[in-house]
Amino acid sequence: MTRFIFIWAIICFLFAGCKEKQVEFRANACKGSPVFVKRVAGFITPKSYFSTSEIRKMGLVLVENQGSQEKPSLRYYQHSSWKNAGWLSPIQLDETGNVYTAPAPFINVLDNPLQKQNTIYKVDGVTGEMREFFQIPLPDSLNSNNPYGVLGLLYFCEGNILYASTIAGSDRHVIRGGIYAIDIKERKIVDHLPQVDAIGMGISYVNGERRLYFGTGRSSEIFSVQINADGKFGGKPEPAFTLEGLGPRGDDKVRRIRSDENGNLLVYGIEFNYNLIAPREKPEALYEFWYNNEGKKWWCKSINSKTTSTE
Amino acid sequence: MMRQNYKQAGLFFLLFILVSAQPACNNSGGTVSEKRLDGYSDDEIKSVLLSADSLRTFSFTEKRVDEIKKSLQLPTPVLLCKDSLNSNQQLAQIIALNEPAFIQYAKNEAGTPYRNEIFGVYPARESDFSEENKPIDIKDVFRVEMYNYGLNLASIALIDIKQGKAVGVNHIPQTQPDIPASLKDLAVQIAINSPEVKQALGFKPEDSLALMASTKTSLNRTRCERSHHLCVAPTFVKNDKALWAIVDLTDFRLVGIRWTNTGTTGPASPITEKKLQDDKITSCYCELEQSLNKNGWNMKYMLTSSDGLRISEVTFNNQAVIRSAKLVDWHVSYSGTDGFGYSDAIGCPYFSQAAVVAWSLPEVAELRNDKNERIGFTLEQTFRSEGWPTPCNYNYRQRYEFYNNGRFRVAAASIGRGCGNDGTYRPVFRIAMAGDKDNFYSWNNNNWVGWTQEKWNEQTPQTSYSPEGYLYKTSNSQSGYFIQPGNGQFKDGGKGDFSFLYVTKNVTGKDEGESDLVTVGPCCNTDYHQGPEKFIEPQPENILNSSLVIWYVAQLKNNDQKGNEYCWAESVLQNGVYVTKTYPCFCGPLFIPAKN
Repeated sequence: MTRFIFIWAIICFLFAGCKEKQVEFRANACKGSPVFVKRVAGFITPKSYFSTSEIRKMGLVLVENQGSQEKPSLRYYQHSSWKNAGWLSPIQLDETGNVYTAPAPFINVLDNPLQKQNTIYKVDGVTGEMREFFQIPLPDSLNSNNPYGVLGLLYFCEGNILYASTIAGSDRHVIRGGIYAIDIKERKIVDHLPQVDAIGMGISYVNGERRLYFGTGRSSEIFSVQINADGKFGGKPEPAFTLEGLGPRGDDKVRRIRSDENGNLLVYGIEFNYNLIAPREKPEALYEFWYNNEGKKWWCKSINSKTTSTE
Repeated sequence: MMRQNYKQAGLFFLLFILVSAQPACNNSGGTVSEKRLDGYSDDEIKSVLLSADSLRTFSFTEKRVDEIKKSLQLPTPVLLCKDSLNSNQQLAQIIALNEPAFIQYAKNEAGTPYRNEIFGVYPARESDFSEENKPIDIKDVFRVEMYNYGLNLASIALIDIKQGKAVGVNHIPQTQPDIPASLKDLAVQIAINSPEVKQALGFKPEDSLALMASTKTSLNRTRCERSHHLCVAPTFVKNDKALWAIVDLTDFRLVGIRWTNTGTTGPASPITEKKLQDDKITSCYCELEQSLNKNGWNMKYMLTSSDGLRISEVTFNNQAVIRSAKLVDWHVSYSGTDGFGYSDAIGCPYFSQAAVVAWSLPEVAELRNDKNERIGFTLEQTFRSEGWPTPCNYNYRQRYEFYNNGRFRVAAASIGRGCGNDGTYRPVFRIAMAGDKDNFYSWNNNNWVGWTQEKWNEQTPQTSYSPEGYLYKTSNSQSGYFIQPGNGQFKDGGKGDFSFLYVTKNVTGKDEGESDLVTVGPCCNTDYHQGPEKFIEPQPENILNSSLVIWYVAQLKNNDQKGNEYCWAESVLQNGVYVTKTYPCFCGPLFIPAKN
């Protein structure tokens, strides 16, 4: 519920004088609180969260739960601009409490025109107003067989970078997606990882290296790629671990990756075949992966297949 | 002489090409051909899917079916383990079956038995216990594993035979214990006695050729993901390829077969029921256009991204009939909540705008009259949600009927179950007629009244029909068709279409839905605003002597009341496993040739 309200202190470096690449996992826990939650919506910030998957509510929704998880007492708030981009999917906050989101069609494309599926929207942390923030270039091969564009967003604190993964233009035989590193301040692409149909992304710090982890729409494999302090990619993606054979379906694709306070990766897996099957028919499983320092590899600690996602 | 020999050789070569290039995609009736492009997986195309409704049975399963039926009559409806057990294992099995916690799911709440079977009795392992419940000595403890076919549930009891009681019981849903040797043998027998396996291998395999039969097709879960049945995959290796035969041990049938490369780096990713189905459908019907030639009818057909099964270039006795026909949308609205519903597109399983995807291969079947005479054939396609028939999951069927006398019908049905019993389904058909200079008429005040402009009409209970039961007709100088909307007369369970019919002009170079259409209308409009009106308003075009497109939107109200079920489905427990009872609501217009 409190997925975006991270109260973690920003610890830049635990050990002064270490090499620049020796970073600590909490370095990416910097997300700020949007001021408008209290000022405009009048909601209690620690009891509120953003959602793009509330039943029958298109767009971004701010939800306040004054009850408990077992006995929720919910209030909803939607700024008048929050429905403008149709149905949305990923949500990310930056350091100052701005919210970033991107469209994803829900069941049909009535409210989600194909040409807008590579557009990232920003909700101003102070006013709550949502506006177009950045348009990732649309491939020439845009086709109605693939109704999706940006499906993953991830904020990287150190570099003030927003990673956006898109699968726009891909078809069954050709991968045309990619991960874009966007400098939030300059509003420009600083790096680009081409030919990956990435969806869910997460950052963790392994062996003193910053690494971006991502799953794709093509397989259950999770890849990782090194990233520099300024957010640029430092090499080629490598296979990290897989969801193949795990969970209730055995072929889940990664919808989202979070790293917890211990550096573990929480991987949210769903069925995904580049179609518009309703999400409610696609129960989500949560896979918890730990890094084994001795074996130098990730291992699956637990699987919870009853998880439901509200993003 | 020499020339004649060349001719004969040429004919022989042509014959050889035709025989050796048998279509692999199409397993339906009629004469078919296919055009393949680069990049398609031959293994996917050559895979074989068997219909779940196949009536094929094997004589060697009859004894087992009898045993199952007898076990369902027992007070504790459980089939005992077929593998040889020593006296301690047998004792553990008996104790387990007298343990209420272990057999608590053997029957449903109404006392109707599920099909249950003990799959194995094994000495307990250290890992079966947590630190808290670990007994001092585990040598007298046995692990009894039972499978519930109805619930797809594994029940595990740890039985201490010395104490004569269970020291632990656990039930794991959607899980299957390791299968016993008797079921492994049965799976192999089903595989090697299936003609599809024999045909794929080129010979009838021996039992010993089947590998990995006791390895479930998933590491730890069922991989008959859609049926939730117990499945295993006897696998036959030939040269550098492996033939997977997925066998359903709940229904004792072959689900399908598929070749994979064995490779050098270990086994390939498991072939599962869903993967087998989706890959075959995509490779053969989403990426290839098929041809069908039967009973004087000739056409092309393929699955679209979001417009269902599309037929095109349809001719009858070499006369052009339909340019194309398809099902653009299903609008589903629920009256209990204003504006609540969905606009579902139906189409391909991968890379599509479909919310409900093709589940099986298109099927061609005989069409017979009341006297059981062959009067034509149908081309039919099923689209399904994974969770159907549970609530908020859907099943749609699309059917084209082609009669030997030149009639044809474009039809569809919802088979529930949707999100409530207050739903109205509105399928949107698009039928582009082949004529270039057609005119359109509706029956009004005992006369055929010509339509001069694009417009729409609603079929209501007050609508009057021609003496023959027709409401519309299209015609040109040579031929035409009367159109009979569904009015409960087709003996397919349909209770009337209450349809909107729209006529628009097809203009060359202007695409008004000829290519794949995105969702044309919202879920919940109850009037004529279903989408096709967008191609009429605000400036209707003149349609006299034109190429016409007919849009047909039926309105079907579902019903879950006993005896009146309509657009509905429900699961019922039959012989210990769930089967689905369906109540389709078919709709769609019949076209009858009119001679001018």
